[in-house]
Amino acid sequence: MDLLDSMLVGFGSLVGWKPLIIIIVGVIIGILAGAMPGLSPSTAVALLVPFSYTMTPELALILLTTIYLATNYGGSITAVLINTPGTPAAAVTALDGYPLTLQGKAGKGLGTALIASTIGGSIGVIVLVLFAVPLAHIAIKFGPADYFALALFGLATVASMGRGNIIKALVAILIGLMINMIGIDPISGISRFSFGNDRLYDGFSLIPALIGLFAVSVVFAKAEEWTGFNRTLEKVGSKLPTLKEILEIRGAILRSSIIGTIIGIFPGAGSTIASFISYDVSKRSSKHPELFGEGSLEGVAAAEASNSSSVGGALVPLLALGIPGSATDAVLLGAFMLHDLVPGPLLFKTRPELVYGIFAALIVANIFILLLGLYGNRLFIRVVAVPDAILYPMILTLAVVGSYSVAGSLFDVASCIGFGIMGWLLKRYGYPVAPVVLGIVLGKMIETNFRRAVMMHGYSVFLKEKLALAVLIIAVISFLYPLMKQWKEDRAKRAAHSWKT
Amino acid sequence: MKRFIVFMAAAALLVVSTGMAMAAFPTRPINLMVYTQPGGAIDVFARKFEAIAKKYTDATFVVVNKPGAGGIIAIKDIMASKADGYKILAVTKSNISKMVESGSDIKISDYSWIAMMVSDPEAIIVNRESKITTWQEILADAKAKGGNQLWVGPAKGGNDHIMAMKTWRIAGIQGKWIPYESGGKAMAALMGGHGAVYVGNPQDVVGRPNLKCAAISATERLSGEFADVPTFRELGISGLDEEIIWRGFMAKKGIPAEARAFYTELFRKVNDDPDWRKYILSGAANPVFYEEVRFTKIVENDAKEFKEALVGLGIIK
Repeated sequence: MDLLDSMLVGFGSLVGWKPLIIIIVGVIIGILAGAMPGLSPSTAVALLVPFSYTMTPELALILLTTIYLATNYGGSITAVLINTPGTPAAAVTALDGYPLTLQGKAGKGLGTALIASTIGGSIGVIVLVLFAVPLAHIAIKFGPADYFALALFGLATVASMGRGNIIKALVAILIGLMINMIGIDPISGISRFSFGNDRLYDGFSLIPALIGLFAVSVVFAKAEEWTGFNRTLEKVGSKLPTLKEILEIRGAILRSSIIGTIIGIFPGAGSTIASFISYDVSKRSSKHPELFGEGSLEGVAAAEASNSSSVGGALVPLLALGIPGSATDAVLLGAFMLHDLVPGPLLFKTRPELVYGIFAALIVANIFILLLGLYGNRLFIRVVAVPDAILYPMILTLAVVGSYSVAGSLFDVASCIGFGIMGWLLKRYGYPVAPVVLGIVLGKMIETNFRRAVMMHGYSVFLKEKLALAVLIIAVISFLYPLMKQWKEDRAKRAAHSWKT
Repeated sequence: MKRFIVFMAAAALLVVSTGMAMAAFPTRPINLMVYTQPGGAIDVFARKFEAIAKKYTDATFVVVNKPGAGGIIAIKDIMASKADGYKILAVTKSNISKMVESGSDIKISDYSWIAMMVSDPEAIIVNRESKITTWQEILADAKAKGGNQLWVGPAKGGNDHIMAMKTWRIAGIQGKWIPYESGGKAMAALMGGHGAVYVGNPQDVVGRPNLKCAAISATERLSGEFADVPTFRELGISGLDEEIIWRGFMAKKGIPAEARAFYTELFRKVNDDPDWRKYILSGAANPVFYEEVRFTKIVENDAKEFKEALVGLGIIK
């Protein structure tokens, strides 16, 4: 049976009102959960696992994978409108999305995020359908040294986030890496900096930190510069991006979709890293790098195309090998088990209609995300027309509820507020907060893979592994280049200054 | 006569009311706590139990996920609740190692280990496409590499690591444990050829045709697709016949007698249920029903063993 036949079987399994309703429901739940800070893709899918237990395996898995896909788009909505990334990956979307809203171009930001998401999501799924098995086999060949190099390359993307001041971005990333040290040492099993507190045993959860740094900090900043109860944004701007604008950034969308898919395939890398790297690559290859961080459509598109395409990528190891590649994959694996199914190569043979049904459903889901997103954008955008006196308390409420929902723990709420204060202070003194998130996300990956690689083959492994070495060199160059540039500029400025006096 | 009737009526009432008191558990929904997010292996176990328990009781079980710190948050949550029997926790052996490892003040004697329901044998797993596919080849390669044979698996100091160290000691070989964040990632490493051996359970090879069990810790061979996997005893290794991962249920110490009776009865019935057995056996594990006394002994023994091993590793003092 070749691929076309299989896909026909897959689409065939969607005929009837039930699967279509399930896809629509999944897309709606996914978008809303994604937009809700605190409900990351894995939590959103996990919440629906018990519910899906009563369904047939086909419908259950269609529902859950559709939610997975849609949450990655949904996260962009709150990121663009209120600087509150609904999902960790959307932190990158907020970098340019929120400035767009402040400039009265919320519609452009949301529209770009939507279109980039659906294109990225579709590319990810197409790659999954066509190359799942060979790609999965290539992906597992990469060892700890390669992962270390990839993560370090991810860390080097901090250069794109300094807004001109790379030193401050470096300070921010170090804060992230330091926060990441708290909790159990993943290699030796020894507890670090937890001071006997059980809640710190696993370290700080990413979600409360993310909400605090991005959303709560904005609330504090607003409170500080309070100007009155009825103030709203001067211009809401619901205009969508034009076809011309989209065509201009097609390069960024396509490139980021490919990057997102590839990084998604690596077990343990994930959509957040994919978004950071795509953003960095897009900035470096853009004609207008100076707009990044100030409301660049390209920046929004890069982040969103990348995180949506990573979903297809992340399903590759799960479906082709039965290995969960992301946190959400791990939840999906449980859902398969709940229905007495084991994902993996055998499933393609024993239940092709199920596997290809999921593929077909994901393709259909992308279409629904586009349609529902276009409709929803008109509603969502009204959020920013709400007066500040209502909007900001609402954001704070969302932040509290969102961080509580992660594990049902008030500790997370307190840490969210704590991170809010930290974020507010950082921004007040001109330090960007995105690198803190980058440090938290990448810290574990860098540390564990470095130590694992050394444990396995000694320090020389980084010289022996050609791919790792190449990526490490690229990482060092891409890290040093902006530093050198800034140093030169500073020197030129100083020279000009001393010449004047 | 009249008096006799009154007496009889009173006696009957007493019998009925005590009977009712005995049957009076549960009168409200029971919280079945799980220490992972929905979708974790133990969560699937709890939800399967909940679905099958419905056949035998009208009681409602509500599965509540309380993740964090490898189960310590959930175990402490049990301690913070009333010992009324309305909160039970699905536990597994790795919770015990976490308890010991974190140096927390949790005492095994503060809990009632109601029943052990699953016994899952440990297995030595290899990559079918690598050069090392049998126990003999593991031994030969380990000796050739002199301590540099790579064994991949989950966290250092966890069940599987301790199983690996035991195996090395008894078989007289040396290996190097490379820990991964989860069993799944370690399996990916084995598939990618980054390690020689993975320690897990037979279930790990189900649906993953390039993985294979080289040896199994059980007194007899398993059935079905595992029929050709030798036990350690057959391979001439003694002392590794009963290395298992267990799953079961516990509650706070001092739950009422009627609650205990209710659970014992229910767990016994579920253990005999054909669908339950099918679910456990499909994961290549064994359905069992060990009551409190036996289960508590197993837990205490595990805690002791973990403590010794973790002190030996220098993870705890």
